[in-house]
Amino acid sequence: MEPSEAFRIAARSIRAHRLRSALTVVGMVIGIASVVAFATFGASVQAAVIGDIGDTNANNVFVTPASVDDDSPGGEELAATRPVFTEIDVDRLRTQPGVEAVIPQGLVGLSSATYGNQTVAQRQATATVPETFTESNTVAGRGFEPGAEEAVLNEAAARSFERNVTVGSTLQLTLASGETRNVTVVGIVSGTRGGFLSGFGGDTPRIFLPVDPFYSTVIESPSVGADVSVYPQLTVIAAPDAVPAVQDRTEAYLTGESDAAQLLGEGTEIRVQTSEDIVGAIQDVISQITRFVTGIAVISLVVAAIGIANITLVSVTERTKEIGIMKAVGATNRDTMQLFLTESVLLGTTGAVLGVPVGLAVAWGATRFADVALTLAVDWMAFAVVVGVGVGVVAGLYPAWRASRVDPIDALRYE
Amino acid sequence: MCPPPNGPATEGSSGGGATPDATGRIADGDPLVAFDGVTKTYQLGGTVTALDDVSVSLDPGSYTAVMGPSGSGKSTLLNLVGGLDTADTGIVRVDGVDLGRVSETRRAEKRGTAIGFVFQTFNLMPRLTAVENVALPLVFDGWAREDRLVRARDVLDDVGLGDRYDHKPAELSGGQRQRVAIARALAPEPSLLLADEPTGNVDTDTGAAIMRLLAEIHDRGNTILLVTHARRIAEHAERIVHVRDGRIERVETVEQRRPHGGDDRPDTYVDARGDGSDTDADGSPGREPATGLDGAE
Repeated sequence: MEPSEAFRIAARSIRAHRLRSALTVVGMVIGIASVVAFATFGASVQAAVIGDIGDTNANNVFVTPASVDDDSPGGEELAATRPVFTEIDVDRLRTQPGVEAVIPQGLVGLSSATYGNQTVAQRQATATVPETFTESNTVAGRGFEPGAEEAVLNEAAARSFERNVTVGSTLQLTLASGETRNVTVVGIVSGTRGGFLSGFGGDTPRIFLPVDPFYSTVIESPSVGADVSVYPQLTVIAAPDAVPAVQDRTEAYLTGESDAAQLLGEGTEIRVQTSEDIVGAIQDVISQITRFVTGIAVISLVVAAIGIANITLVSVTERTKEIGIMKAVGATNRDTMQLFLTESVLLGTTGAVLGVPVGLAVAWGATRFADVALTLAVDWMAFAVVVGVGVGVVAGLYPAWRASRVDPIDALRYE
Repeated sequence: MCPPPNGPATEGSSGGGATPDATGRIADGDPLVAFDGVTKTYQLGGTVTALDDVSVSLDPGSYTAVMGPSGSGKSTLLNLVGGLDTADTGIVRVDGVDLGRVSETRRAEKRGTAIGFVFQTFNLMPRLTAVENVALPLVFDGWAREDRLVRARDVLDDVGLGDRYDHKPAELSGGQRQRVAIARALAPEPSLLLADEPTGNVDTDTGAAIMRLLAEIHDRGNTILLVTHARRIAEHAERIVHVRDGRIERVETVEQRRPHGGDDRPDTYVDARGDGSDTDADGSPGREPATGLDGAE
């Protein structure tokens, strides 16, 4: 029998049982849409996070202390806040070939920030250097001057007060020690160079202050014997064509004669990562989460498959007499099987074709809610369609086989 | 076993003599249908012998009725001829093919091309129109869509349903449904038409019309095997094979029924209607053309 004729007969049969067919297709649509929605949302989040890092920090080499034993509870976090990179290390790294800038970052403990009559809780500010700010990520104003009582806010911090903070506004910062300092806001930024913790996650309010006069964490430098500032985090900005070389040199220096190497405690090491490394790690995590959640969605596909199998079995039973008639007028077992298989594949394909746009619509809604751009997970969409058709085939195989085995004499007697 | 008696239309019987080749096909010149020592049993809470060592044959162009009470084995015989079932022992040859030696696929193809079925309950596809029902065997025979629709319309015209192409079975009367079923059976131009109680589900007038249509189909040279339990229906055939308890009891030929020759097909239906309108001027029952059957509906 021609496939077009099988298609025509199957479509007619599906139309004859509209409600039943529609419900079966709805099951498929839910299954396929879940897969597409979760996969697309995962891909969108991944793309947004990676885009943030990749766009602004493509040639950054991030340097942090890290726990050797990744499994120790909280060890990673604790190690990452341990200040080990001295001003001496910063200066020496600046002289390395291919290095454009070295941006140290430290934390200044705060308790609150006051603007006008409004005070908001603010746990910390980031002490850093003016190289952190570039023209491209400065929304208004400029970077701060070293040694000045100035501050730069990210957009989220500027919005955190009822009256938006603007360039020229004065903020009163209450330090963790209880001391209050008035700072002039000289710039609003959308992001910063350096410090992967401040380079993305734009929704967290951040206040940036100059190292001098706000950062007071000092240590005696093992190499020069004098007290110098010490930071928990460095970002080495490499020339665009020298990122791997700068990564190697930075690692070589810091694990060799640096102050940091001598200040590192037991169980910690220095981790030198490019944004690519971090992107890869984040990508791995998001991919795993996406796969896990999408895997759960695949369960609904399996349920839908059982629905198709069930409905096709019912259809075979209901149409036993028709099967007998078809066999009496020349339908082979293969023809009979083809008819029922076509029917289930048609249901599966319809579910897949409708499920993809539904899934995309759900994913679009989710990305709008999460404020990330929609990124199509084309491979997952293709997977969903293939699975939809495959589900139709697999779910229809047994019922179709049963139909093909129907004894025409019994079938003709069937009422 | 009861070997059928010899007679002009009853070359009956045992053996057949010709040896089938590997495909089951036997040489030309053989009967269209040949049963040779066929036995068929069913397991229905015990072994039931539906046919017991039956040998019979049908010549091309013959019109044979198989008659017998319920459970006599006549439907089993029809199913075996139609390739819907296979014999336990013995040989069933149709159009030169030993149906017991070929695959189910080949039997299905045979059903679709060489054999036409007409059932008591019409067995039409409820969702298909008349023309689609008639075209159904051609779908499985691989005809192009346009060709099979043209053919289906032609056959529907032949059986007097030229104005019912697009009607579904539910929109047709019993007689019209049976004529659609006959048209479907004729669509692939089969060499053999099998009719299982074709008038069993229609009223007397319509039954008469159906039997006239079958007679006309036979007159065009088709071979018909009719199964019935009613003598008045069986008497339309050239010979009657009486079956009882799975065995052929006797074979009655037209010569035995009409020792003086001539067409003495029964006028039972005419009698039932009581108006004599179905009787020709010379007193013999007339046969109207199929296209003139509408009035009987």
